[in-house]
Amino acid sequence: MKIVVGIKQVPETTNVKINEKTKNIDRRGISGVINQYDRHALEAAFEIKAKTNAEVIVMTMGPDDFVVSLQEALALGADSAVLLSDRAFAGADTLATGYVLSEAIKKIGDVDLVLLGQQSVDADTGQMGPIISEFLDISQVTYASKLDVEEGGLRIKRYLENIEQDITAKLPVLVTVTDQANDPKYVNIVEIAKSFEKEVTTWHASDLNLDADRVGQAGSPSVVRSISSPKEVVKDNYKLPDNPQDAADELVKILKDKNILVEDK
Amino acid sequence: MDQKTISQDILLRMVKAFVKNEVAPYDMEIDHTRSYVNNLWSKVKENDFLSLMLPEEYGGAGFNGRTSAKVINEIAKGNASLAVTLEGHFKSVDQIVKYGNDELKNEYLPQAKNRIIAFSMTEPSGGSNPMGINSHAEKRGDKWIINGDKIMITNGGLAEIYCVLVKTAPDELSFFVVDNEMEGFEYGKQENFLGLTGVPVGEIVMNNIEVDESHLLGKVGMGKEIGDSAHDDARVLMGAVLTGIMEHELDLVTDYATHRKAIDTPIIQMQGIQRKIADIAISKETTKLLYQKAAWMKDHGQDYEEEAAMAKAYGSRSAVKAGDDSLQILGGYGYSLDYPIEHLIRDARAMEIAEGTVEKMRTAIALKEAESRA
Repeated sequence: MKIVVGIKQVPETTNVKINEKTKNIDRRGISGVINQYDRHALEAAFEIKAKTNAEVIVMTMGPDDFVVSLQEALALGADSAVLLSDRAFAGADTLATGYVLSEAIKKIGDVDLVLLGQQSVDADTGQMGPIISEFLDISQVTYASKLDVEEGGLRIKRYLENIEQDITAKLPVLVTVTDQANDPKYVNIVEIAKSFEKEVTTWHASDLNLDADRVGQAGSPSVVRSISSPKEVVKDNYKLPDNPQDAADELVKILKDKNILVEDK
Repeated sequence: MDQKTISQDILLRMVKAFVKNEVAPYDMEIDHTRSYVNNLWSKVKENDFLSLMLPEEYGGAGFNGRTSAKVINEIAKGNASLAVTLEGHFKSVDQIVKYGNDELKNEYLPQAKNRIIAFSMTEPSGGSNPMGINSHAEKRGDKWIINGDKIMITNGGLAEIYCVLVKTAPDELSFFVVDNEMEGFEYGKQENFLGLTGVPVGEIVMNNIEVDESHLLGKVGMGKEIGDSAHDDARVLMGAVLTGIMEHELDLVTDYATHRKAIDTPIIQMQGIQRKIADIAISKETTKLLYQKAAWMKDHGQDYEEEAAMAKAYGSRSAVKAGDDSLQILGGYGYSLDYPIEHLIRDARAMEIAEGTVEKMRTAIALKEAESRA
């Protein structure tokens, strides 16, 4: 089985600042990390690899310093890595990014499974998986919280708001993974040096079969017009009595007063 | 980006995540229970923290002094005890790498991945004055017979391998390597120290331990040189620990002062509070620059004795003062055992004594200044 895991390098801190001029995330002075959901996608790939001896190829699109995240994925257990880097890719929205990633996956060839995190923690769109699967014309399963390999495909569980889905998916398939799927391991310190024995390949725009009008800013139909941080909302605070019974009674009263709790008539 | 930079970035990402998830949430519990709770020690070993500085030829990760010190700094932000436990191991590994013969290196360095190595000089009769020790080794045929009592060993009890300072003649000091599986090796009393309570500090007793010549570290009579070398290594790493403690103090006190209001104003807007917080930040940054300079000099083969002494002497006093100022800003919360400030002061205070007192550091600094002008 051949697995491609798409990862994104995101700012380390959750205290992200917005650049008012560019309306984009201000990455200056903030070091990057692998998007946390992508760590779960990688771990899912490693679990499948342990059972089936699958080949795991990790891929990202971004500037040269994203190579740190690819090398980290190699130290975690990926077999090889591909960096998609070109000035022409700059300013890409999700559509243009998904187009380049899907062309790179086509170039790798014979890919059975594409894994991504459910979303990135910086842009939070959750669109990349569906976009890539459409371009590749393969099935997709989003928000997978459990993955098992079975004959000819995967058995996947999705825990949605009010339902639990148990899905069988034939290969090839694209799956986006939630943070409930597994418990990602830390990089082993000694494995870092050994990971440099594996290969990171860089593909530029000219290495792929791309339509120039569909990449970078030119190929991006969406434009961020404004972006702002949510305002801090101060909620009502109540001091409940120390006695648990009194506290419960008081809480029920408050909830009824606010019509949050309604008596069944 | 070169391999060294990428490796360091990956390592520091991993360490930050490890500290955030596995260390920092248990800081108070480690202090109160005097143990590495939540299987922390197993996790440290599983992820090969003990191999950080160990050369690759012995199965280690081979990171240099500066990177290792940054790792110690990050860990100390979460819990200073764990950082000091690793510091004790790293400085000991370093001395075997530097002074061990091939037989000794091949025997013990691959084991350093899983077994803690400790460095022991102090005895009831002498600490800062090494000639005051009574432990001794006597040559019988092609063997050395070691007897003596070593106390206040960092990681004493947890460590399984010990570099021990002994007299090989009335005025001659030498180091040997012994381990807990040797006949005549016994663990003794564990200390009940005020701070850094997660670090086991204990005694070993050596009764006619018989070792081969290969267990001699360096040559006979090199005890003082090896001891000084270990101290220099330890002091650089202690600068990193102290920086981590001050970063922890700064996080706590800044967060508190930003949210705590007096007369409807966050107290961080008040000049008296601002001065204290600014001084903590200045001390933290100065200690960081001092330890990083010393580590850089070490990696480049330069004499770093004076810079290492400065990092420890300045950093330890500053971290205690920063803790005291933080306690004052937090008021009653600062004085409470339920908040971490008080244990950060106790932790920092240990480093005004351990690995050479601050008084001894000043002597070393002054003599180096005189030497450079002679």
